[in-house]
Amino acid sequence: MRFLSLSTGLIVAAIAIPALLLLYFLKLRRRERVVSSTLLWKRAVQDLQVNAPFQKLRKNLLLFLQLLILAAAIFGLANPVANFIKKPQRNVVILIDRSGSMKTVEPDGRIRLEHAKDGAMDLADSLPNGSRAMVLSFADRAEVACSFTDDKRRIKRRIEEVEPTDGPSKLGEALQLAVAYSANFAAGAVDKAVRGSMDTAEIDLFSDGRIKDADDQFVTRGKMTFYRVGAASDNAGLVAFDVRRDIERPGEVSIFVQVANFGPEQITSDVSLSLDRKMVSVQSVTLGPAMGTTTRPADLSRPVDMTALPSSRNVIFKMAHTAGGIIRVKLHRPDAWPTDNVVTAPIDPPREIRVLVVSSRSAIRYFLNRAFKVAFQIEDFTMMTPAEYEEAGDSALSIEGRSAFDLVILDKHDTKRLWPGNYVFFGGIPVIDGVARSDDVDDQVFVSWRESHPLLRHVTLDNIFAIKWSRLTLPKHALKLIEGESSAVMALITDPGHRYVISAFDLMESNFIKNPASLIFLQNAMMYLAGGDLTHADRLITPGDTLAIPVPPGAESVRITRPDDSVEDIDVADRTTATFARTGDCGIYKAVFNDADKTTETYAANVLDPTESLIAPNERFTVGAEDVQTVSGEIKTNEPLWPYAVAAAMFVLLLEWWIYNKRVMV
Amino acid sequence: MPEIPATQPKDNEPSTLLDADFMTRLEQLQIVSRKIHASRQRGERRSRRKGESAEFADYRNYVVGDDLRHVDWNIYARLDRLFLKLFLEEEDLNVSLLIDVSRSMESGDPSKALYARRVAAAMAYIGLCNYDRVTLCAYSDRIVGYRQGLRSRRMMAQVVAFLEEIPSEGRSHFAAAAKQFAMRQRQKGVVLVLSDFLDKGGFEDGFRYLLGRKMDVYALHILSPQEIEPDLTGDLRLVDVEDDDVAEITVSKLLLDKYKANLQAYCESIRGYCSQRGVSYYLAITKHPFETLVLNYLRQRGLVR
Repeated sequence: MRFLSLSTGLIVAAIAIPALLLLYFLKLRRRERVVSSTLLWKRAVQDLQVNAPFQKLRKNLLLFLQLLILAAAIFGLANPVANFIKKPQRNVVILIDRSGSMKTVEPDGRIRLEHAKDGAMDLADSLPNGSRAMVLSFADRAEVACSFTDDKRRIKRRIEEVEPTDGPSKLGEALQLAVAYSANFAAGAVDKAVRGSMDTAEIDLFSDGRIKDADDQFVTRGKMTFYRVGAASDNAGLVAFDVRRDIERPGEVSIFVQVANFGPEQITSDVSLSLDRKMVSVQSVTLGPAMGTTTRPADLSRPVDMTALPSSRNVIFKMAHTAGGIIRVKLHRPDAWPTDNVVTAPIDPPREIRVLVVSSRSAIRYFLNRAFKVAFQIEDFTMMTPAEYEEAGDSALSIEGRSAFDLVILDKHDTKRLWPGNYVFFGGIPVIDGVARSDDVDDQVFVSWRESHPLLRHVTLDNIFAIKWSRLTLPKHALKLIEGESSAVMALITDPGHRYVISAFDLMESNFIKNPASLIFLQNAMMYLAGGDLTHADRLITPGDTLAIPVPPGAESVRITRPDDSVEDIDVADRTTATFARTGDCGIYKAVFNDADKTTETYAANVLDPTESLIAPNERFTVGAEDVQTVSGEIKTNEPLWPYAVAAAMFVLLLEWWIYNKRVMV
Repeated sequence: MPEIPATQPKDNEPSTLLDADFMTRLEQLQIVSRKIHASRQRGERRSRRKGESAEFADYRNYVVGDDLRHVDWNIYARLDRLFLKLFLEEEDLNVSLLIDVSRSMESGDPSKALYARRVAAAMAYIGLCNYDRVTLCAYSDRIVGYRQGLRSRRMMAQVVAFLEEIPSEGRSHFAAAAKQFAMRQRQKGVVLVLSDFLDKGGFEDGFRYLLGRKMDVYALHILSPQEIEPDLTGDLRLVDVEDDDVAEITVSKLLLDKYKANLQAYCESIRGYCSQRGVSYYLAITKHPFETLVLNYLRQRGLVR
């Protein structure tokens, strides 16, 4: 047992006990009685007292009982505690995971975050006086809930205020912040002792241990303790999602979802698809138990059961729908974490894509004409020569300050006429800051490319070569899609309102257009750049992402409705993009601008993250390569004893009352 | 000195102090003095002096200068010697009642003051009935009321008026009052002191003054039941009714026991002092009927007969 507030107790004792004694010496509130003579009484009192100064207090049971009460109360004030499982350090950084998986409903009906908060508050309680703690809550971003303070009430209040989000959990930023703050704090501390103790600043992580980037981090200072929170592991969720409109049959929509079971039992559930809150279709899936991902360590000695059901499955819905709307896929099985059982997505009505090709070379013109008109059946297809492009009036190329075309393909032409829109350059460059072309590169092959990028999806570049290409100077934020041995071959530059795909090689000096890969690339370009994709890639976000909403001309403010129907107005006057960061919750975010058309943009935040969906808490937690000390189960911390002290005081009070009454009833 | 009421009540008129029946019974009593005191006036008591009553006492030889009227001429005729015929002298008795009227006497239920006055009235009546000379003396720290020369039953009304009108006030100082009384009362006689003796000046000096006058002193120590068995509880601030002296006490069984022991010791000390000096001491508690005290108790103890 020890005292958390010994100094408080001592101060109170130093004041209260002499005060009580003084009261006994100076003032006892007595009733006045007139008697015929005090002669005999005085003698009796004198007989009871001898001259010793404390004689008065001797045998005064009342006083002793009051002293006992006082002692019990002071004992309580000194905040005695017992049963420490860990010895608290002087300076503590409390990290609270508030990612989506912390919303898991535990068997006792409370969500996991509540347990984490309880644990954190217990920890805060257990800190001895003079300790300093800071509170960081993190999901995909870290937030300082409370900077270093020794005010336990404030710490606890801030812990209590931590709200859950649906975002993924990333530890990196939180760790950086923790270290940065403690470094600042240590530098600011004049007291050498405090500064010295900062070296042993302790990081206490309250989490279920399912943290995506934990292996990329390392603890630069202090000791880290991982408090494992939660027990539930039963969860099935939707981990992947895509929706496409068939390019050839725009009225048909395909919805693809991947359902995965993370629990230890086999499950059967319905997956439903609804459009604008009306159910369209239901499918049933049966999934086997998750393998090797649960809290149980994988049993390698057991032969793998090949007949076992897979723990994840793809479900494909098809429906005919020509208008826009919001689709919602739901897994109808109650489980511990309901957040990942629903995916929502806005879909747009099919629209005609307008494509402009600027080329003077007949072979290219012929190829692109065939590709767009015959293969992709683009009705609104325009062909210009570079001279025509440069001479065309603004009205021919732009509408309301934006490009009049969804996609502009320029063949061997550099231009300045770039209204906000999407541009693909072959053998040319946009005349913008940071982009330049220098000497040619030849006798090189394509070394690497980003196969996963939507532009290069399914594009096989193994057999593609170019005789030579120009060496490009690119801005830093350019994304290199294809790289040669010494310079980039293809790059994507995303500027506000503009997207440029720059291909350094000339189409005529490559076998690209003779290969089917070129057609796939063009289709990807249409889908990705021109919005041929049914759900614009930007419109599906992960919770916590920042929304960048293009501002239509004339709009001065935008009203954003969040999934919980709360509304936020943002001033967007004189800006091209509106940003909105409060996207922690899953669901639909609707932005309505106040321009003439009441332009509306809809975004959907979904988890779609197997790491989060795997809610079973980690047995072991590693940061970088190091194992972190794990405290699991009930977080044992200081058991406050003051209620017992108060109870003792009450008991003594009752005893006093009884004795007093017994005494006076002589 | 209280004035005599304009219309004097009849001898045996009932008063608030004594009722008629009781007075009738008192008439049969008389105050006994253990000493024969010389008195100036003739009374109904036998005197040590030979005097002129009808009752023959003794003879003695004639000495020159004796009153020839007392010579027994029949003896002279027979024996031819001069003898004086002595007759018993009958004289009255001085009965003095020293009544404590300090404020402390007011306390108690029944009140000690009333009790003392009733006893005084009874004793005065007994005295008056026997033609004793009754002196009433009320005192606190000095004599506050003095009435002397009361004789015969007719004076009873004055006694009652005196006793009823004297207020209970002031501090008690027995010694000072006794000194004053002894200076004033030069004749010997019976002195009955009626007091609670709760006197911070002590009781010894007072008795010494009275005994110094060779008086036959009786002490009636009057206490109320509340003084014998205090009904106090809790933490108290006791204020002395006479001098506002304060005693702070926390009532406990221990303290009460101590108080009772002290009271008993105090009474015993008075009794011891008195018995050593030939003073009769009686303890009276006001809850006992005073009639019983006078008719039985004092009779048994020999103050009245």
